[in-house]
Amino acid sequence: MAAVPLEVSDLRTTLFTRRGEMKAVDGLSLSVGAGETVALVGESGCGKSLSALSIMRLLPDPPARIVGGAVKLNGRDIVPLSEESMLDIRGKEIGMIFQDPMSALNPVATIEKQIAEVVMAHTGLGRFQARARAHELLEQVGIPDAARRLDAYPHQLSGGMCQRVVIAMAIACSPSVLIADEPTTALDVTVQAQVLTLLKRLQAEAGMAMIFITHDLGVVAETADRVVVMYAGRKVEEAAVDDLFEAPLHPYTAGLIGATPVPGAVRAERLADIPGMVPPLNALPPGCAFAPRCPRAMDRCRTERPALTEPRPGRRVACFAAEKGPT
Amino acid sequence: MERFAFLGRFARNRGALAGTVIILLVAFAALSAPVFFPTDPLRMVAQPELWPGEDPAFPLGTDSLGRDMLAMLVHGARATLLIGLFASAVATLIGVSVGAAAGYFGGWIDETAMRAVELFQTIPNLIFVLTIVVILGSTLHNIVIAIGIVSWTPIARMTRAEFLALRDREFVQACRSMGMGDFGIIVREILPNALPPVIVLSSLVVAGAILFESAVSFLGLGDPNIASWGRLVGDGRELIRSSWYICAIPGVAIMVTVLCLNLIGDGLNDALNPKLRDR
Amino acid sequence: MASTSGSSRRNAALRLLKRRLLQAIPLMLGVVVINFVLIHLAPGSFLELMTAENQVSDPATVELLRKTYGLDDPVWLQLVKYIWALMHLDFGFSYRQNMPVLDAIWVGLPATLLLMISSITLAFVIGVAAGVVASAKVRTVWDTAVSVAAMFFFAAPSFWLGIMMIVLFAVKLGWLPVSGMETIGGGGGVLDILHHLILPTLALGLFYAATYARVMRSSMLEVAQLDFVRTARAKGLSRRRVTLSHVLRNALLPVVTILGVQMGTILAGSVVIESVFSWPGVGSLLFDSVSSRNYPVVLGIMVLGSLVVIAANIAVDLIYMWLDPRIEIR
Ligand SMILES: Nc1ncnc2c1ncn2[C@@H]1O[C@H](COP(=O)(O)OP(=O)(O)OP(=O)(O)O)[C@@H](O)[C@H]1O
Ligand SMILES: [Mg+2]
Repeated sequence: MAAVPLEVSDLRTTLFTRRGEMKAVDGLSLSVGAGETVALVGESGCGKSLSALSIMRLLPDPPARIVGGAVKLNGRDIVPLSEESMLDIRGKEIGMIFQDPMSALNPVATIEKQIAEVVMAHTGLGRFQARARAHELLEQVGIPDAARRLDAYPHQLSGGMCQRVVIAMAIACSPSVLIADEPTTALDVTVQAQVLTLLKRLQAEAGMAMIFITHDLGVVAETADRVVVMYAGRKVEEAAVDDLFEAPLHPYTAGLIGATPVPGAVRAERLADIPGMVPPLNALPPGCAFAPRCPRAMDRCRTERPALTEPRPGRRVACFAAEKGPT
Repeated sequence: MERFAFLGRFARNRGALAGTVIILLVAFAALSAPVFFPTDPLRMVAQPELWPGEDPAFPLGTDSLGRDMLAMLVHGARATLLIGLFASAVATLIGVSVGAAAGYFGGWIDETAMRAVELFQTIPNLIFVLTIVVILGSTLHNIVIAIGIVSWTPIARMTRAEFLALRDREFVQACRSMGMGDFGIIVREILPNALPPVIVLSSLVVAGAILFESAVSFLGLGDPNIASWGRLVGDGRELIRSSWYICAIPGVAIMVTVLCLNLIGDGLNDALNPKLRDR
Repeated sequence: MASTSGSSRRNAALRLLKRRLLQAIPLMLGVVVINFVLIHLAPGSFLELMTAENQVSDPATVELLRKTYGLDDPVWLQLVKYIWALMHLDFGFSYRQNMPVLDAIWVGLPATLLLMISSITLAFVIGVAAGVVASAKVRTVWDTAVSVAAMFFFAAPSFWLGIMMIVLFAVKLGWLPVSGMETIGGGGGVLDILHHLILPTLALGLFYAATYARVMRSSMLEVAQLDFVRTARAKGLSRRRVTLSHVLRNALLPVVTILGVQMGTILAGSVVIESVFSWPGVGSLLFDSVSSRNYPVVLGIMVLGSLVVIAANIAVDLIYMWLDPRIEIR
């Protein structure tokens, strides 16, 4: 039996700063099967990007470092691997797409160079063949007039085109795992839909496992198979996408989707605002981190941290109130 | 309060603090020169070319004419520091005036001012200084003005940028709606806010001016009545085979002074922009 | 295809060239006007000035000068005539060298350009390399060593540095020649000139190397924070590869800008260095002319020096454009 493409267990990433240690990712576990899309959602600053960068082993060090857990890529734990071994994995087995396509590309290098570079790094292809491959990739991601775009510079392309280029670089070596960190946030609405369609198509063609980080619940409903909800560095709920929208178990999730009226509706609805502030990571309350903002908080929530439970197969939640009954 | 925090940040920068202390010592030496070395430093006092340490009465030795190196150095500090300060003041005056007018009024004034900046950046600066000095005469005040004239462009650019950023802010518009004149707004409202980074730059211009003056004097084109450090280096040139210390000592003095001024400038800069410090 | 984009960039470069050349005209006019003002501020008559106090008594020469510069005309006409003369490359006559000023300068120009180019090259290579090392090993002894060295060379007067290097490398160690550009007698040859070039190049270039090292270090650190660096690393490129092929080129841009601004300063700095090393260039000529009050040569050097700076600036602009494709011609 083939190994699961990506299996993260109990991943812990800490920020070592002057103001103390902060657990930015605290015991995150998730697994993504081939062809599956798992959405990672949560308010700004809850640790989504740092989780993604931990999986890529691309944390800004200092201050961030992985302090525990495992990231199994096709069955092999990559956390203990040396930086040198990681070079053969990044771009080849995992690809990553970033939020702001305009700044994600080197402004003074041609599109060709930037795509050919990843091709040459992981295959034996020479410059000439790499150029041909870059051309092919540009066509694959739907860039019109690809031959001419090869010699263009990023500033000569629109944001949507740039994001297609970034996607082309990420899938250039047919990785088994693709991480997309808010790939459409910086784009116009119409372009967002196109890029999303493209990603879904590419994923289906290659059967990639995809982690999709987003603020956009409409996109979640449309793209994801399963959803992992994070709060203050921890996973607070996990569910199949339909289940989650139908009956969110965690009050935080309920708050988030409060403003998304129809599950599955393709509408660019942001996460709802929940009253109160995300507590700073270095001053988390002793109990549940969400307790100070939670409408259903009980005394116990303030002193004891709820563990992740699995009320039904494939459905996890970390909440005392949810254990007692649905929202 | 804000000022206090600023000083605190400045004092925490060890380089800047050391620079300040040394500059104060140099300034003190310069001011007290007539007290400790009351006789004319250019007078022969001992046997020529005494090496430093050879005679405890002349800790830095004597030059080819038997003059006390230490006395000349201390007296030279007066000249060097004064020329540096005054030249920087001239440069700041020109730079702030041009930059303020350019940034505040914009339009053709700005255009003209920027062309002038470009022009003065084009003329090779030391060549310009030498030309002015040779045509108008090598007097102290011609040298100061000449150095000021070739050093104002960075200050003008900086002042202009500050004025551009400040001229449309609410408090300026409030003054304008109250009928305050352009001159009043420039001098009393914008300038005080624009000044801190300009002052930092001026402290760096002092360092540059000292280097300029020392080059002019080294070439023997300085004011013949003034023995600044650059001239001492120039005077020692002929003797580098036998007594190279005569060149070395005043050169070290220039270097240390310029170094300390640069450290102070960097320290002020960091203290002004605490955000950039972690870079 | 490749050629389309290539030729559009070539066109852009030509447009830049044309614009810069047009802008050079008012600049040069400005330099000439400044010259003219200086001449008129000078004590003594114009004739005395232009004959470098050589007390030319030959009436024919005096008459020629009077006519060329229109000394009996109103000031504005004098200015026009002065500009007219310069436009015809008539910079006057140098009695000291007994040749036209232009020829006298022309003789020294190659030596000065050689010194300037080798100093800039040295400054650029050392400065950029040191900046890259310091940023790659930030907050280590390497970084500190670069900072300390940069601080030192940033503050040391170039002429003093030159003399100290002569003391050490020429007088004490005897490795390098004390002065001049060629060995007198059996000299000549490229190697001999290079041998003589080393010390003056170091003395002039190290200050700029220090400047570039500082700018390069902070620029490298700044660029390393940008998003595209992370993208490049996500592609599986090593830190080293990313630094050399992505960070470096972007980080060079501010260094190149500063290089352009400093052209005039570098040329001027060569005056002092040439005097220290008896380098037979325009700087030595200038020093000699200043000392002997040979005004026509001094003024001519100022005009031609400005011209060299403008040309060098245009070259720097083209390099910048080649490095940064985002530059569009306004
Ligand atoms: N380089 C860093 N230095 C210090 N703190 C950091 C750094 N990067 C991230 N953090 C902190 O780590 C926490 C998690 O950041 P992360 O970028 O993962 O959030 P996020 O969920 O991706 O948010 P967003 O939706 O805004 O992208 C935040 O509190 C952030 O302030
Ligand atoms: Mg993020």
